[in-house]
Amino acid sequence: MAKELPGYGTIDVPKDRVVPFGAVTPAPVCQQDLFQTSNWRIVRPVKDDEKCTRCLICYLSCPDACWVYKEEEDVMEWVNNFCKGCQICIQECPSGALTAVPELDFPDGVARLDKPF
Amino acid sequence: MAKAKMLTGCRAAAEGAKAAEVEVICSYPIRPYTAIMMELAKMVANGELNAEFVHGEGEHAQLSVVLGACAAGARAYTGSSGVGVTYAMELYSPMAGGRYPVQMTIADRTLDPPGDFGSEHTDAMCTRDNGWLLGWACSPQEVYDNTLIAYRVGEDHRVMLPQMVCQDGYFISHIPDKVTLGEMSQVKEFLPPYRPIGPLSLTHPVSHGPQIRPDQGAPMDAMRAQTFLAVPKVIEEATADFNRIFGRNYDPFVEQYKLADAEIAFFIMGAHSNTCRTAVDRLRKQGVKAGMARLRWVRPWPTHQLATALGHVKAIGVVETSTSYGGAMRGGNLIHELRASLYDLDERPLVTSFMGGLGGETIWPADFDNMAKVLTQAVKEKKVRNYVQWLGM
Repeated sequence: MAKELPGYGTIDVPKDRVVPFGAVTPAPVCQQDLFQTSNWRIVRPVKDDEKCTRCLICYLSCPDACWVYKEEEDVMEWVNNFCKGCQICIQECPSGALTAVPELDFPDGVARLDKPF
Repeated sequence: MAKAKMLTGCRAAAEGAKAAEVEVICSYPIRPYTAIMMELAKMVANGELNAEFVHGEGEHAQLSVVLGACAAGARAYTGSSGVGVTYAMELYSPMAGGRYPVQMTIADRTLDPPGDFGSEHTDAMCTRDNGWLLGWACSPQEVYDNTLIAYRVGEDHRVMLPQMVCQDGYFISHIPDKVTLGEMSQVKEFLPPYRPIGPLSLTHPVSHGPQIRPDQGAPMDAMRAQTFLAVPKVIEEATADFNRIFGRNYDPFVEQYKLADAEIAFFIMGAHSNTCRTAVDRLRKQGVKAGMARLRWVRPWPTHQLATALGHVKAIGVVETSTSYGGAMRGGNLIHELRASLYDLDERPLVTSFMGGLGGETIWPADFDNMAKVLTQAVKEKKVRNYVQWLGM
């Protein structure tokens, strides 16, 4: 052909942005840090330990397993990196121990991050 | 070489799947592709094929079943027609994104309304932007061949993508034609066993299909696009190997029929190309320098190959067998991409399109004569009057 036609170019995905092939990752892991999913959270549940009765309803109702019972300290622990702020736990908590607090109220609030994590 | 048998396209597809020794099949009935599953069910029942045959409760379930099977490391096979293809739409992108090289066989059927069962390419064409390999056969023989070629390309570790192997409903799926089936030794030489990457495993547990963050979406898309840059070479290699081992003569991307000295050409894919070849011969006898380019793969689209094959032609008539209502040319899908492929040539051919073979209608030789008249007129006038003509309307 007389004229050279444009090519398709090249695609170079920066090394630090490469995603595992087909998004297949090792499992089981307690937390999959390759794919953290809380960066669109607008509010987070904040817990009042005085009111919390460790009834575990938050643990049962969370769709993303973001409440963990720490047996030794006898407290509920919240999982920052995967809570999407859906507030189901806040709705379900029978003792009113959970409150929705805007992410902007926290220095490390995900709404403030330049990069997702 | 084995003797040719008279087989329908459906039987040929089933024979292809059997030759590929598929391990999991998921079916759900919808004509005309149903006959493929009926043939496979018989093969499994008779012990000719050792495969898990699963009855899905719908096309969405079919695709989900083969996704799981493929994730577990099986060579998986499913299929559908018409609205069945569109009912499974949600699964197409995850299948490609998760890099599951399953094969879906399609005997095209027009989409509703209202329940027409004739052939039309719109069903599978709807899925073309989801990252699957997508191509059309024009004979039962090519259905069998493409079944093997598509598995070989899709399962290549440079590719790892699902494939849609399409044939026109009825025109190919239900009309028997001569098919030479390969010997098992040929198939074994051509198609290595499926080697999954990171399959589900009890000893090496992995997680498939996780949620990713928005900032991980772009790299994933880019990596899929990157793969599509590599696919053409794999298709070329696979086609060359197939031609050598099975004694065929396929061009990897575009069948060129009497194109070298053609002044007008039909751009077409699928079953109606058989009539088109006859029409080209007839036109040639009448002194019209006609030719035909038949597309074998829609994804990946062979941009440069088409520019090379068709660049010298004066006027091209795209025979559309799918609809793109309200699209740039107000007709079908192929004309957009063909025009785009030719845009950078110094001297571009004139390109118009013809809507035909819709709803299961036949495109008759006389239709090609009429199309040739439009193209000849365009050459004379050095312009196309319209982007699109509806045959018989």
